[in-house]
Amino acid sequence: MTDDALDPLIHVPTRLKIVATLAALPDGDTLSFTRLQDMIGLTPGNLIIHLRKLEEADYISSEKTRNGTVSITTVALTGHGRKALDAYTQALRDLLGGL
Amino acid sequence: MNHTSDTTSAGNGGNFAPRQAAALLDQTTQQARRKLAPSPPWLLATRAVAVLAALGAIWLSVRGQHPYKGPTGADSPILVAFIVLNFTATVAVRERAMAGVRGRTRLRPAEIAILVVAFAAVPVIMWALAAAGVSFALYPTTVLIVPGLAWAAIMGVREGWRGCSMGLAVAAVGVVGAFAGPAGSWAVAGVGLCAVLLGKAVAVARRQRG
Repeated sequence: MTDDALDPLIHVPTRLKIVATLAALPDGDTLSFTRLQDMIGLTPGNLIIHLRKLEEADYISSEKTRNGTVSITTVALTGHGRKALDAYTQALRDLLGGL
Repeated sequence: MNHTSDTTSAGNGGNFAPRQAAALLDQTTQQARRKLAPSPPWLLATRAVAVLAALGAIWLSVRGQHPYKGPTGADSPILVAFIVLNFTATVAVRERAMAGVRGRTRLRPAEIAILVVAFAAVPVIMWALAAAGVSFALYPTTVLIVPGLAWAAIMGVREGWRGCSMGLAVAAVGVVGAFAGPAGSWAVAGVGLCAVLLGKAVAVARRQRG
């Protein structure tokens, strides 16, 4: 088995951290953009770039809501994203077990 | 590992070895679970020790009473301090962990209302039981039954079976206390709640380690 078995969209340190952090939430929960940024330690610009890539693949979903004058963006792992992380984790296990 | 940019080769996944990825995945998952835990194991364990100490102290002061008169004036500050500290620490830690989290984990207004009603019903039920001459009406364990069942019902509706079990365990402590006598019910409450909290602490710690 080679590295090619690893989902290239997740097999990037920053995106792996994003996906793993969102996977720690129970199903049906979302995390605010600012809390996610705080937990991962990224600049807003960098985080937006990675979130966009993950959202294009339907691995995460985001929602923008208005609370008075403040707008809050929340993100969550989709079912598709959770399955992709599970598959990635299994591929890693298989790969490392074979080393 | 501190990745703040996607401009490095590792940031693009180019030199990101599977072993590094496995370590990062494991580390990030554990950190996220710890930071997002509304009831971390250390808090549960601390509450377990505190409840055992507070209710144990009261049991020591009332166990020699013949006839039973209840906690003395000196016991009240212990009980009040325990309740206030417990409530404050629990709310503060929960709010910090849940900052930015929305969705199913947060209690809905209707669920909060059910809990408030359950707690408000406790003195009414105890008064009614006392008026009816029921022996365990004023036992400390009797306080646990209705809120425990309310929590179990709320968690059952949410299909949160761990929370449901905890609510039922608290209610069970209340029922067992009814058979322990007025002084013994303080010991049952202390030991029972301590065991429930320690059990939950172990379960949460295991879950966090994955």
